[in-house]
Amino acid sequence: MEPLKIVGNREIRVDGMAKVTGKAIYPQDIFLENALYGYTVRSTKVHAKIEVDIKKAEEIEGVVKILTHKDVTGMNAHGVLFKDQEVFCSQKVRRIGDPIAFVIAKSQKVAKEASKMVEIKYTELPAVFDPVEAMKEDAPIIHDTTNIRYYYKCRKGNVEEAFKKCDVIVEREYKTSMVEHAFLQTESGVSYVDKEGVINVCAATQYPHFDQLEVAEGLGVNKEQVRIINPAVGGAFGGREDITLQIHLALGAYLLKKPIRMTYSREESFYAHAKRHPIVMKYKTGADKNGKLIAMEATLIGDTGAYASWAINVMRKAGVHATGPYEIQNVAIDSYSVYTNNPYCGAMRGFGATQVPVASEQQMDIIAEKLGISPIEIRLRNCFKVGSKTATGQLLNESVPLKKCIEEVQNKLF
Amino acid sequence: MFRINFTINNKGYTVDVDEALRLVDLLRDKFQLTGTKEGCAEGECGACTVIMDGRTVQSCLVMAFQADGSNITTIEGLEREDGLHPIQRAFLDAGAVQCGFCTPGMVLSSKALLDKNSNPSREEIREGLSGNLCRCTGYNKIVDAVALASKYLKEEESDGASENSRK
Repeated sequence: MEPLKIVGNREIRVDGMAKVTGKAIYPQDIFLENALYGYTVRSTKVHAKIEVDIKKAEEIEGVVKILTHKDVTGMNAHGVLFKDQEVFCSQKVRRIGDPIAFVIAKSQKVAKEASKMVEIKYTELPAVFDPVEAMKEDAPIIHDTTNIRYYYKCRKGNVEEAFKKCDVIVEREYKTSMVEHAFLQTESGVSYVDKEGVINVCAATQYPHFDQLEVAEGLGVNKEQVRIINPAVGGAFGGREDITLQIHLALGAYLLKKPIRMTYSREESFYAHAKRHPIVMKYKTGADKNGKLIAMEATLIGDTGAYASWAINVMRKAGVHATGPYEIQNVAIDSYSVYTNNPYCGAMRGFGATQVPVASEQQMDIIAEKLGISPIEIRLRNCFKVGSKTATGQLLNESVPLKKCIEEVQNKLF
Repeated sequence: MFRINFTINNKGYTVDVDEALRLVDLLRDKFQLTGTKEGCAEGECGACTVIMDGRTVQSCLVMAFQADGSNITTIEGLEREDGLHPIQRAFLDAGAVQCGFCTPGMVLSSKALLDKNSNPSREEIREGLSGNLCRCTGYNKIVDAVALASKYLKEEESDGASENSRK
């Protein structure tokens, strides 16, 4: 066989040269002549009906236009799976940071100052911050009907019977925290209408083709009239999969026929994008006296905050991976995504698969301790190998080198 | 307004600056030196690092008027006529670049470190870069890059010395 050209060789990344010389162009590095500046007015309440008055702000010198839900020319809704987020809140806000208005002015300073003059009358509603509370019948409803956005159910064998045969049973509850991506380059973008009438949006995104669709829907134009330009992206980690400033900028440029730019501050970036789902994980795991796992029951309650984003995929993946990489014959998993008035949660590195090991691996350690065997031994006795069947019924018939990996780590450590 | 005289990348300038203007804005907005990045605006992330009179500063925490009389090096000042600076070359060769937003600051902090300590230990490198955050978590490769840069710079020095002795 001829030697491979790329695989096995050290290659210089194609964008490396631009990045080490500082020449790589990120959205905030684009300066357009006569560009106006945008600034987003956001909710300061967690759950409230709103009335918005922009009159005073409009009168400030240098303010060109203030957009609210009344100015949305297309659909006032977006969202990767469910259109549950509004471009601008029309009736109520569901979290701190919900976008209400967009001030377009001749300078950043004026836009920011004028945003303080947008008057918002809040009528506060009862709010809920705990996903377990939010599942109860009498909890404040955040969207139209129930707060339970998604339910995933997995059953294998007979858990009830199997627990009777266990020599050791460990029952514990675990909670993971909400996590912010904090990609270094905060959201930034420019939008302009070109000579052909195409609305160009230049913003760092993980999902340009879907942004194109959502911008077109928001503006009520054909997809072909919208072009998303994705320049250098300063980190994302899942945090740039949802719309943040794209529709706001595009709508402004489309209505005013003038270029508009904006860059979020670090604080605004925290408000603007999704977070990693915090998950409450109730686990019951049982094994025989040899450390062989026999049964596992898990209830996972994921707090998706005010909006769904990728909640379904995240909590399904959490459910699918709830056993960890271990073979268990009797399994019952219930996984939920629940709305609350917290910041909304979506994609972040691992998509639900990162949270569950906090619980499943800790269970392994506790069982090992109770049986007086080593944490490594219990893993070797239960880990997936070729021929294993997962809780979802998947037959692992190809490469499963987990045992080898654990042994290699053991050899290096001890 | 203040009138300031200063040097950026070996070129002298006289400019009038607003008293509320930060150095990062002066560099980016007025001089279009957009290789200097802003990540947090409060001196935490190091993306806006530049070298001012031999020391690294966070240009988001320095007012433009404070640059009066100073000598500033930005990432744009590192490249040489015959190509990349050895530190930039090392970052490329070691695979220390991911999203790239921290890279200019990392490279400049590396330069400030290597200018003072041409042979730093891995611990000294980590200390030298402690003011620069990389959220892609490429720290190991970045430390590798600085160690490699130290080697490149020493090779360059010995090449230069042997060239001089030939003359």
